[in-house]
Amino acid sequence: MTAVQAKAFLAGTGVTIELTLISIAIGLVFAMILALGRISKSKILNGITWVYIWVFRGTPLMLQLIIAYFGVPMVAKTLLGHYVNISMFNAAILGLTLNTAAYLAEIFRAGILSIDKGQMEAAKALGMTYRQAMLKIIIPQTYRRVIPPFANEFIMILKDTSLVMVIGLSELTRVSKIFAAGGEAKFYFIAGGVYLFLTTISTLIFDKMEKAAAKYE
Amino acid sequence: MSMIKIEGVHKYFGENHVLDDIDLEIKQGEVMCVVGPSGSGKSTLLRSLNHLERITSGKIYIDNVLMDHRENNKDILKTDPKKVSALCAELGMVFQRFNLFPHKTVLQNVTIAPITVRKIDKSEAEMKAKELLKKVGLIDKINEYPSRLSGGQQQRVAIARALAMEPKIMLFDEPTSALDPELVGEVLEVMKQLARDGMTMMVVTHEMGFAKEVGTRLIFMDEGKIVEQGTPKEVFENPKNERTKDFFRSIL
Repeated sequence: MTAVQAKAFLAGTGVTIELTLISIAIGLVFAMILALGRISKSKILNGITWVYIWVFRGTPLMLQLIIAYFGVPMVAKTLLGHYVNISMFNAAILGLTLNTAAYLAEIFRAGILSIDKGQMEAAKALGMTYRQAMLKIIIPQTYRRVIPPFANEFIMILKDTSLVMVIGLSELTRVSKIFAAGGEAKFYFIAGGVYLFLTTISTLIFDKMEKAAAKYE
Repeated sequence: MSMIKIEGVHKYFGENHVLDDIDLEIKQGEVMCVVGPSGSGKSTLLRSLNHLERITSGKIYIDNVLMDHRENNKDILKTDPKKVSALCAELGMVFQRFNLFPHKTVLQNVTIAPITVRKIDKSEAEMKAKELLKKVGLIDKINEYPSRLSGGQQQRVAIARALAMEPKIMLFDEPTSALDPELVGEVLEVMKQLARDGMTMMVVTHEMGFAKEVGTRLIFMDEGKIVEQGTPKEVFENPKNERTKDFFRSIL
């Protein structure tokens, strides 16, 4: 591997990591709101969040990325009368974030519902409002329970960032494909090795987090 | 002085009529014991007081303030959620299954509501919590998590947690039913002390010894109705209703 190739690989890996971390971080906050909407008593909130999750889990991520990059400017043209350009990177973040939020919302919802209902009753009986009970009692307890499925989704998104090559962003997979086009398959395997390395590190970190969170059980 | 007044309360779960025209008044300092077979509505009655269940119709006054007035499952008296929370804080509740917060230490379990709800200073809340934990005999466990305690210890923490809000009334929902027999005594002892200190209490229980010793009044419920009431001694020794007689015969 030449120095130029190594540098390109490093940059591609950087893009892959950035895409994963940013979309997971924003998706996480968004997912929490969606999850609270899904379990809320309000029919409107419930309906909106249900539709959101239905759409984003029910259509391919690759199509969502294509729409984020190519579709958004077209829709803007129709609505505003002029194109609004979105950068490849931002489109990738947009698509990945909206998609992962739908999955994470379901993970959080399941986590919240898994907490014994006596916990909410005890909090209410002590005079806490719904909001206080959620923030202080219910959500902190879901933390440990959602780590394993959250780790799954994290690794899934880490690998699915490879789909953004469809809009032309040079992340790890696209870099390897470009170099392999010269006739050398080894670049594919190098990319595979990097993915494995990243997923292994993530798994180890999540295992540690899970153990640390179990201290009260 | 009336602490709790229940007027014409009905509750349906679907077709099931679990509370059937209940009238009841509990005065300050009374220890009201509620007994009856399972499914007789005694827990539902208790849980209606702090809105863990909503009544179908009737009126409930807490400390002479009308807190619940409903007809056909609808509020006649509009209840502001903040007011409901404030009301709940006046009623301490102890559950059959303790419901301690597992992610909090014993001390944090007792301080969290005063800090969150009453906005009391953390150090002040801790000082008070330690006093209460001393009272229930658990001062050496303040930094443990609930999972490390026996059932009896957990229930005593739960009592301290409820007392930390300085409630005017304590509600006990079968507080010893989930405990191993040898742990029942330590919990009852704490409750007796509380009764002697003059706390107004409403206790759903099968512990007849406790009822006889500290209960000032006893009601017997069956199929959603109060079928008999009097002092515990009267009801135990001279039950008038057939259902009451059968029940005491079966549990003694």
